[in-house]
Amino acid sequence: MSAEAMVFLFGVIVGAGLLFVKVFFVILISDLEVDYINPIELCNKLNQFVLPEMFVQAFMAFIFLISGQWIATAWNLPLVAYNANKVMNGKHMFDATEIFRTLGQHKKECFIKLGFYLLSFFYYLYRMILALVNDS
Amino acid sequence: MRPAQAPPPRPGFRPPQHGAQQQQFQQHSPQQQQQHPGVARPMPPGQQPMNYRPMNAGPRPANTPAGMPRPPHHQDPNSPHLQQSALRRPSAAGGPMPPSPSNQRPPLANPPFGSHPNQQPQNGAPLFQRPPPIGGMQRASSPMMRPTNVSQPGSPAMARPYQSPHIQARPPSGQFMGQGQQVAPGSPGMNPMGYNPGPPNGQNPSQPPTPKLQSQQYQQHQQHQQPQQHLQQQSPQYQQQDHHLPQQGQDYGAPNAGLMGGPPTPAPQAGTHKPKRMYPTGSNVYSEPAPGYDSTPNGGFQSGAGMPPPPYAGTDPTQPGAQQGSQFFVPGETQAPAFGQSVPAYQQGLQPLAGQPLQPNMNQLDGQMGAMNVGNAGFGGQGVSPMSTVALMGTAPKILDLDAPPPTINLPATAAITQSPYANCDPSYKRSTLNAIPATSQLLTKSRLPFGLVITPYRSVKEGEEPVPVVSDSIIARCRRCRTYINPFVKFVEGGQRWKCNMCYTLNEVPSSFDYHPQTQKHVDRWQRKELNHAVVEYIAPTEYMVRPPQPLVYMFVIDVSYPAIQCGMVATAVTTILESLDRIPNDEGRTKIGIITVDSSIHFYNLNTVSGEPQMLVVSDLEEPFLPQPQDLLCNLSECRSTLETLLKRMSDMFKDTQNVGNALGPALNSAYKLISPIGGKILCLQASLPNLEVGALKMREDARLLGTSKESTLLQSASPFYKSFAVECSKSQVCVDMFLFGSQYSDVATLSCLPRFTGGSTFFYPAFTAAKSEDALKFAHELAEFLSQRIALEAVMRVRASKGLRMSAFYGNFFVRSTDLLSLPNVPRDQSYSIELSYDDNLTIPIVCFQTALLHTSSSGERRIRVLTLALPVTTSLSELYMSADQVAIATLLSCKAVERGMNSKLDDARDALTNKCVDLLGVYKTHMTASSSGATPNLQICDNLKLLPLLTLGMLKHVALRGGSQIPSDLRSYAMHLLSTLPSQCLIPFIHPRFYSLHDMPEHCGTIGADGIEMPQAMNLSSERLTRSGLFMLEDGQNIFLWIGREAVPQLCMDLFGVPNYESVRGGKTTLPALDSDFNQRVNLIIGKTREMRRTAYYPQLYVIKEDGDAALRLWFLSHLIEDRAEPIMSYYQYLGHLKDRVNSGSF
Repeated sequence: MSAEAMVFLFGVIVGAGLLFVKVFFVILISDLEVDYINPIELCNKLNQFVLPEMFVQAFMAFIFLISGQWIATAWNLPLVAYNANKVMNGKHMFDATEIFRTLGQHKKECFIKLGFYLLSFFYYLYRMILALVNDS
Repeated sequence: MRPAQAPPPRPGFRPPQHGAQQQQFQQHSPQQQQQHPGVARPMPPGQQPMNYRPMNAGPRPANTPAGMPRPPHHQDPNSPHLQQSALRRPSAAGGPMPPSPSNQRPPLANPPFGSHPNQQPQNGAPLFQRPPPIGGMQRASSPMMRPTNVSQPGSPAMARPYQSPHIQARPPSGQFMGQGQQVAPGSPGMNPMGYNPGPPNGQNPSQPPTPKLQSQQYQQHQQHQQPQQHLQQQSPQYQQQDHHLPQQGQDYGAPNAGLMGGPPTPAPQAGTHKPKRMYPTGSNVYSEPAPGYDSTPNGGFQSGAGMPPPPYAGTDPTQPGAQQGSQFFVPGETQAPAFGQSVPAYQQGLQPLAGQPLQPNMNQLDGQMGAMNVGNAGFGGQGVSPMSTVALMGTAPKILDLDAPPPTINLPATAAITQSPYANCDPSYKRSTLNAIPATSQLLTKSRLPFGLVITPYRSVKEGEEPVPVVSDSIIARCRRCRTYINPFVKFVEGGQRWKCNMCYTLNEVPSSFDYHPQTQKHVDRWQRKELNHAVVEYIAPTEYMVRPPQPLVYMFVIDVSYPAIQCGMVATAVTTILESLDRIPNDEGRTKIGIITVDSSIHFYNLNTVSGEPQMLVVSDLEEPFLPQPQDLLCNLSECRSTLETLLKRMSDMFKDTQNVGNALGPALNSAYKLISPIGGKILCLQASLPNLEVGALKMREDARLLGTSKESTLLQSASPFYKSFAVECSKSQVCVDMFLFGSQYSDVATLSCLPRFTGGSTFFYPAFTAAKSEDALKFAHELAEFLSQRIALEAVMRVRASKGLRMSAFYGNFFVRSTDLLSLPNVPRDQSYSIELSYDDNLTIPIVCFQTALLHTSSSGERRIRVLTLALPVTTSLSELYMSADQVAIATLLSCKAVERGMNSKLDDARDALTNKCVDLLGVYKTHMTASSSGATPNLQICDNLKLLPLLTLGMLKHVALRGGSQIPSDLRSYAMHLLSTLPSQCLIPFIHPRFYSLHDMPEHCGTIGADGIEMPQAMNLSSERLTRSGLFMLEDGQNIFLWIGREAVPQLCMDLFGVPNYESVRGGKTTLPALDSDFNQRVNLIIGKTREMRRTAYYPQLYVIKEDGDAALRLWFLSHLIEDRAEPIMSYYQYLGHLKDRVNSGSF
């Protein structure tokens, strides 16, 4: 198995994980809307995933970078920059006191990220298969 | 972790008992009375208008002719009957009319201090419904509803000390009339006073205003403005009322012509114009009241001038003055002062009504109006007639209408199942920005009106007010589907076996106990049930509404005892106040608990339940992981440990008097307090005089003068530390509320610390530059703290607002934690805190009546679980004009202020200000496009319906308010505090806060400041303009937080002597002060007025008195002047400039 295939295998696994995390976010946020969960619990649950998710995504971009996968790196960089910006402004966490005011934004962001991870996942899968085919 | 130092009672702990506080106080060097001007307004004090007239300049020319009641035999033969009937009928039909104080007053009181004409409407107004917005119809009812009293035209009202000379200098009215006649009738320009007659104007688009007229208008305006501010100020009210009357006339007398777009009658306008002014033209006017009346541009003005209150008020038949006044001005006297002139006009205006059977016509007209409005909605400019449009420019805003009740809610008579007068919610509990709800969201979008509710569910009930009725038999009928509580707007169906929910239309069983008492086995009358008769009702909740037994009241004090706190005397004042308030703390069942923590660089707990009865101090200096030094007794039952507590409080200020400790570990102390009370829930009262600087929750001095006035300023208004927000969330979960009393000699970071109250349903109090050495400071704080402690608050509350299907709560403003999309969690509900809720549409409304029901489930301070239910029912409309006519400017201002504060905090202050102005432009623009004849193109004046006419002024007030004003002079503490107030004050206090009340005291009528039928009588509020200030005068301005007494530099010694007890102006001391109680009549009256100001509103705030000398401290003076919002204050425009700006934007179509 070539290094390229390994890198993209990693991408596929991580991508799938991120995808699940985002689905989890979306489900919880919809729960909040229909009042199955209270905002404090929601924020406690979601906040423990926020930084890991960002870190994992940034790490994946870093792996792509050092392995010379420029397209995959370029694809991931904007999100890394966006996340970094959020963290620096201290706005990355879900705030229970503001959650209802910002629910719309959060939801939109979640869906966009979901789409992004979905596309990434298939792209990594494709590249992985391509690499495996090329190997053999 | 170190063990607690739990020393036995410390020997050095017991100071001499008494005089401790005093000592404490004297230690502090008396600081200069220091203000926080917060204001820089480069307005030189010398900008006063020309009309100074020294107080002692001799008696005013008594324009007595006007002031005298007219003997009956002068009456016009035509009018008496009509008038009489107009006057009587209402009182016969309209229910009881409380006699007004002025009725008993002899008409010819003391001319110099006569009763002020507008005083009466002010007094009486709240008792009566304001004429409803729709068309002229309800206006017609107004004579019935208005208070009767009204000073006789002849009453001394006119004699106003400083005005008379100007009045005389004024050109005779004939001149104005002449000018007025040049104006094309019906054109906006014809109303120099900005008064815009609805029907003629709307129907006469064919006569466009000419620039010439406009300039004329302006000149006239100026001409009047200078010398006759008082007159002008009052005029709008009369004008407005004049204005409705004609409409009524049209509606009744000539509906086809007037309402249905028939040709307007310009000729009669011109024709009646003059006769109008002259007196005996009753019959003429009777037939064509509207145009004739409306087209007298100056007439309005003059009539306003000195006129006694409006005819509505004047309709008391027992009051001869009203009619006599009307006869008083015979033609020959036209050049006499304007007073009274309009009276005839009024009554002429009324005459059409006189012959009409009012009551039946109401409904009929209602129908007419409704039909018309519906019809008109699509036609834009054509359907203007029923609206009472007023023009804004060129006239002083009629500020007395700020106190007017909101537009009437026009529900069909059968909307409520009982005919109880309390079937719909009182606006003091809940009011909507729109008293008619648009049927579709498109209509709402088109109207651009803000749509929301302003709720003050737990307002205090003063003596004499109706308490909230309590349903104590724990039969709580609720809709099984939407959980709505049964209310006066449900319907009983199937022979009364079931009721139909008015929100979701589900059928529910009526509980059998509604008709049958199970214990006594007797039939009961369900129509007597309080929940079917009252919109505001309280249920005693059974156990299903409890998650645990009702909690007791718990007060946990966290007192800062660091050096700055001791130094400024806060601790001494606070403990004295707490000690004195122990009896006032609600403790009905003897369950109330109390605990005290003091904090500097360590946390001190007090064991209040010792065997010896001596309080025991326990010090924890581990701030990283503070722990409770002992498991119990730190929080004690107030009744049981009372004596120990008293001992502690008496000693406390001495215990720390020599401290040099500047640490303040608020965060750890809060955590400890939370641990202590979180099993029960309750209240943490923080008294902080220094910035927390240790461990978690430490704050830095972050105010940076360079940031002020820039777009970065809002970062200073946001929380600096995440600790407070997350702590607030924790508190909210455990039903703990945090209240903040902040004392700043320096920066106190109100923005961060007020986060705690904001999310836990608490309150913030801020005392900038507090020093107890100034007795005024100490008094204010002591008063507010004592009031606050004695409030009967609600605990462990949740509030839910339900609305009819199709509507949804979209945003919430106020102090609470939003727990779900429509559920607010309030660990404590303080009295008189207001919450604003914005509404949006899920679906279009197909129902005729919309209901909003607020349910506040709470534990009362007497330990009962209760549900307070407020039900507000509003009609649905499809008509844009009806929508506008029913908009409530006060509620709109309240909602907009909340939104602006939110915006200012979260993004930029500039954005907040722009949003306010844009909203105003939007409303004016939409109104112009759809509701006036001049839908496109430039118009010379701004028009808006009568019930929104003060919105631009209130908006300007907000733009100039400390909370939102631009500039780099306002410390962020003051701004944050003002923002806190803006978003929590109920409308009653918010409106004076953004538009202060301004009185002239040196020439107030004699009865002001005396005790009348309605308590202490207040002078009449004036427009907020420095033109009103006279060099020899004494003025008072109050905004609910501060009271200013402005004294001019040429104040006569007698005034200084009478009021301050000092020989002359030079000896009057400016700044924070207490007015001495002297023997003089004037002093007593002013003291009464100040006293009344301090207690007339439902609030715990105690306004502080400042004396402002005209040539005194510049900062103080600027601070005072910054409240005069109609003036220009760089860089913000004056009221007239602002209107001009709005007009330009409206005309350019940028809305």
